[in-house]
Amino acid sequence: MGRILAADWLKIRGKGLWLLILVGPLGLTAMQALNFGLRFDYMKRRYAGDLWGGLLDNTALFVPMALFLGGTLVCSLMANIEHQTSAWKQLLALPVSRIAVFASKLMLCLLLLAVSCLLLSGFVTALGLLFGFGASAIPVYGILRIGFLSCAAVMPFIALQLWLSLAFRNQAMPVSIGVICAIVSPFTATLSEWLPINWPYLAWTGPHRLYFAGAGLALALLVLLPGAAHFARKDVN
Amino acid sequence: METIIQTADLVKRYRGRAAVDHLNLSIGKGDIYGFLGPNGAGKTTTIRMLLGLIAPSGGQVEIFGKDLRKERLDILRRVGSLVESPSYYGHLSAVDNLEAIRRILGAPKRRIAEVLDIVSLTGEEKRPVKGFSLGMKQRLGIAAALLGSPELLILDEPTNGLDPSGIQEIRSLIMSLPREHGITVLVSSHLLSEIEQMAGTVGIIRQGRMIYQDTIARLRERSAGEMRLVVSEPEAALEEAFRRGYDGMLRTDELRFSGMDDARVALLVKALVERGHAIYRVEEQRQSLEELFLQVVEGEGR
Repeated sequence: MGRILAADWLKIRGKGLWLLILVGPLGLTAMQALNFGLRFDYMKRRYAGDLWGGLLDNTALFVPMALFLGGTLVCSLMANIEHQTSAWKQLLALPVSRIAVFASKLMLCLLLLAVSCLLLSGFVTALGLLFGFGASAIPVYGILRIGFLSCAAVMPFIALQLWLSLAFRNQAMPVSIGVICAIVSPFTATLSEWLPINWPYLAWTGPHRLYFAGAGLALALLVLLPGAAHFARKDVN
Repeated sequence: METIIQTADLVKRYRGRAAVDHLNLSIGKGDIYGFLGPNGAGKTTTIRMLLGLIAPSGGQVEIFGKDLRKERLDILRRVGSLVESPSYYGHLSAVDNLEAIRRILGAPKRRIAEVLDIVSLTGEEKRPVKGFSLGMKQRLGIAAALLGSPELLILDEPTNGLDPSGIQEIRSLIMSLPREHGITVLVSSHLLSEIEQMAGTVGIIRQGRMIYQDTIARLRERSAGEMRLVVSEPEAALEEAFRRGYDGMLRTDELRFSGMDDARVALLVKALVERGHAIYRVEEQRQSLEELFLQVVEGEGR
């Protein structure tokens, strides 16, 4: 597994994946820089009791959307490296189990998303400090979970995207699904909390946020099983 | 001779239509096996099944005496392959392409320089592969197949789309492999002329069925042609031949004899010379292998 991951690590070089990983959190932070920067006095008054909390809450509104879009693109770009010249037939004729190949792609995808979440935490912290919210008041746990908990809750979606992206050469379907989810997600918040599309946001707010993150991970495993089984059995043409 | 690849009644059906139909393939160690057939005959499908890329609908594949279904990874560790169009990562250089595969194989690092040298890509290894010509990509594919020092090399149409000098280069490379490294090679093509100069054994497949499998020498024998003699007095010469029990005929003032071995040719010529005939030409007129191939492909298996 480690050897395949090392190979995959090499292959994503120069494909724009790292750029995407950087641009996602940078964009989210830039939005808040504008949001706060343009009406700084108003925002400062509004969140007077908890400046950091206000910044995080405002950021968190857009994290699910970014995760849907980013996850889709990461999966699709990664799969495309193999699809482009039908490199699957070369890769899968090597002495590696298909499950290991699938697992390696999953690991790489999670790794990239984790880096992105970490960058988001870093950028938001930097922005807060820049605004002078005070280093002593930094809510470390809140800053870490802004990306990571939502990321855990978005896992079923990532598992589905990975499956579709790896299984089908035509990336139109997975990318469409991803974009639709990203666009629709802000408007489904009023619907049932049983809908997985709401989980990334629910994993940030409310008393049961850990449940939603946990439910995300559990459902992701359920989606991964058929995905991996299909990948292991499918004919490579 | 030890058998490297053995398939038993291999079948692959796509929606009820058999792309490969009860195929029995047998390849001996150290051989270069030419796998021939027109486009769409099932060559690539068979090769994909040999590599475990697609699952057979029926039958068995044994490679190195092991069942492919049970010991796929053990088998693939000893196999190098190039299937159809070359697969490569265009954004990476040749070295990085090989490195990505090397990391999976766990082969030593120096092996990259070795295989680049074997396919004569040394000097181009730092350029992104997307700028390579088709021939160079094809050679990179062969380098990738050789990276794990395989005992069996499976090459699907390795000369497809190459220019004559490229074909020649790859051909001599393939021919050197069994000699120098003891590698068994399975190479497919839709052109007999490409295969006949390097293969020891050929298998001809048509509509998924194996319709001919034997050594190339046997195939040549089947194409043994007529002996053609041009002499000063054809009619008298033919009579002389008849008297000696040769079965010939006269066509456009030339004598034609079929099924002659060397000794009988020599005896006839000697007899004619002794009788005072002037012999201008003794030629063998062969049916070309390509003609025979077409005849086998079209005529049999129906």
